[in-house]
Amino acid sequence: MAENHPETELIPYLRGELSADERARVGAHLEGCAQCRASADASSAILTSLARVVDEVRDPDWTAYRAELTRKLRARQAGSATLRGRWRSRRADLRLPVFGWPSMALGTAAVAVLAIALMFHRGAGMPPVPGVDQLELQQELGSADVGLLANYHVVEHLDLLENYDVIEHLDELGPGNRPNNATAS
Amino acid sequence: MVELSDEELCKRIAARDADAFEVMVERHQGRAYRLASSILGNEADARDVSQDAFIRLYESAGRFDGRSRFSTWFYRILVNLCIDHQRKNRWWRRLAPLAGPGGDDPDERAVDPPSNAAGPEAEAMLTQSIRRLRPALAKLSPQQRAAVLLQTQEGFSSREIGEVLKCSENTARVHLHRGIAQLRKLLQND
Repeated sequence: MAENHPETELIPYLRGELSADERARVGAHLEGCAQCRASADASSAILTSLARVVDEVRDPDWTAYRAELTRKLRARQAGSATLRGRWRSRRADLRLPVFGWPSMALGTAAVAVLAIALMFHRGAGMPPVPGVDQLELQQELGSADVGLLANYHVVEHLDLLENYDVIEHLDELGPGNRPNNATAS
Repeated sequence: MVELSDEELCKRIAARDADAFEVMVERHQGRAYRLASSILGNEADARDVSQDAFIRLYESAGRFDGRSRFSTWFYRILVNLCIDHQRKNRWWRRLAPLAGPGGDDPDERAVDPPSNAAGPEAEAMLTQSIRRLRPALAKLSPQQRAAVLLQTQEGFSSREIGEVLKCSENTARVHLHRGIAQLRKLLQND
């Protein structure tokens, strides 16, 4: 069975972060484990070196650093203020000058009601759809009109008062039969 | 103003007190800049990112609820910005390797650390080790690097590192262990 090395507890052990129980357990393990002791020693050396890495970082000119930071902060504030201003002005543009959003909704509702009323009104004014009997009657009348229309060339040249008899018996004429007086005139 | 705690200053910054912000920046600018520089390995980027962190601090000071230390809260902002910055610039980093402490100028990199009482030979070894550490640090994952640097430079505990990285204390210990193990391996192979 593989031995359980407290690998992740070695650095907290070195830095004194462990509880008394944990510290005792890891300390006991280290006494009997050369591998973990070597690991702890090597880690300790690297931690010491790492603490010195920070000493190599050269400080910038802090006055210039803060001045630059102040400029960036102001630019950012100005940018966000401009954005807020744009949004407010857009909202103001969208707002109706006198009545505002509620009146716009009321207006829309009124237009919708008016449109519905007009639709109903037009529906009432339209002629009713004819029934089957009415359609047959219209067809008969239509066919009679066709005979009259077929002799339209006769009718158009008649004097309505003088040629009343011709008109009365117009339906007795076949299509294309022209009375002589009509053609003469 | 100068004697106020970070938490008290933060409350004043939330109320848009410009003087409090100035004091806060002066108090943390060095640590923030150095930590960003250690994580990013580039002084120009460290300047920009640490300034961004202060701007975020100014804008979101009202959200600091005081449940954690101010430094934990602020370094969470800073480290997240560093990690985001590295993610955005990952493709570029492949082409331009991490710069040394002197920035982009290779002639300015060799800045000797202050001497200690360990003797010239040990000091030389330590200096050599530090110089090799920087490029090795650049090869760690952002979380491992942040964990290692927060512990060694800021003295954060594993629990605090977990708060900064938004992970559990155990996960922070794993980041630390793997980061140090990776550094050992890289330095041995170097």
